[in-house]
Amino acid sequence: MTVSVRRALRTVALFGAVVVISGVNAQQSPTVVKVVQLTGLPRVKQDAKGKLSVENGNLHFTSGKTVSDVSASSILDVVTGSDSQKAVGKTIGMLSMAAPYGGGRMVSLFRKKIDTLTVQYLDADGGLHGAIFTMPVGSADVIKKDLVAQGAHTTAPPEPTASAVANASSPSPNKEQK
Amino acid sequence: MKRILNTGIWLFVSALFLVAHPLLAEKTQPVKINTAAIQVEMIQSDEVKLPAEFQVVLYENLIRQLEKIGFSQVYRDGDRSAANVADLVVLHSTVRGFKAGSERAREVTTVAGATSITVHCQFTRPDGTSLLEQDVNGKVRFFGGNLRATHDFAKKAAHVANENFSTPGIK
Repeated sequence: MTVSVRRALRTVALFGAVVVISGVNAQQSPTVVKVVQLTGLPRVKQDAKGKLSVENGNLHFTSGKTVSDVSASSILDVVTGSDSQKAVGKTIGMLSMAAPYGGGRMVSLFRKKIDTLTVQYLDADGGLHGAIFTMPVGSADVIKKDLVAQGAHTTAPPEPTASAVANASSPSPNKEQK
Repeated sequence: MKRILNTGIWLFVSALFLVAHPLLAEKTQPVKINTAAIQVEMIQSDEVKLPAEFQVVLYENLIRQLEKIGFSQVYRDGDRSAANVADLVVLHSTVRGFKAGSERAREVTTVAGATSITVHCQFTRPDGTSLLEQDVNGKVRFFGGNLRATHDFAKKAAHVANENFSTPGIK
């Protein structure tokens, strides 16, 4: 009886430790977001697809073999916004324009909402750079919070992104006019 | 009869000269201002509410286009290494007008939804002496996202710089 109780206690303790450790690890692992870098990072092509995260005080972007880091302390401003882009890809979208009776234009009506993240930062010589990323709705605020927590500056208070804008009645200046 | 013909020919040649001279005079290139390098200041938009991404893309595209047309040295806003450059030209840009437009409206209707932006460009010396001032606009009418208007503006602004300034990099 005593042995079985001990075993049960050990099992519960072990299970509890696993839960706690996995929770701690989950908190430490940075949020990685799939993004498109429109412009602004050195040695990265325009419209490069990649992954963005905030790690060790840096805004970390990887696209294939290309890696770019921007120190959070060198960031002067982080601004989030919302926009929309075509739901149907570029090539198919262009081909659909050739559909008879203007039917292809129907494709242009389908758009998906995205978040934008605009970052202004200084290089080693004090030169000002600006980088822009687009990412899935709701991701920009997470990255912004992580950046601010690690030393980045921001002039704008947290802004409502696409998901929040959809619920709000007043139009945002960053939102594309439909 | 021959005298009348001669007079007619002379009148025709004179008229041709009078018309052609101003036309030819217009084609003469303006005197270019010598400069060793150009520094691009961040786009200002105090009067017009401009989304942050537009402001940054305008700035980045402007730098890219100036490098593309052959300016050997293009310095960014705040770059300390520009302080010791002789014959430096500083480009100040202020947004005067902005119409957001809509990519969806452009693609569906092809006549509505144009995005346009007007920027006042001022080229000065570091001490503030004005060298050239001009309004430059950027538009996207048919295909492409709204940010493409910034690319159009940057190309035109770089063209203005190319026409009025000469550096070792520009022929």
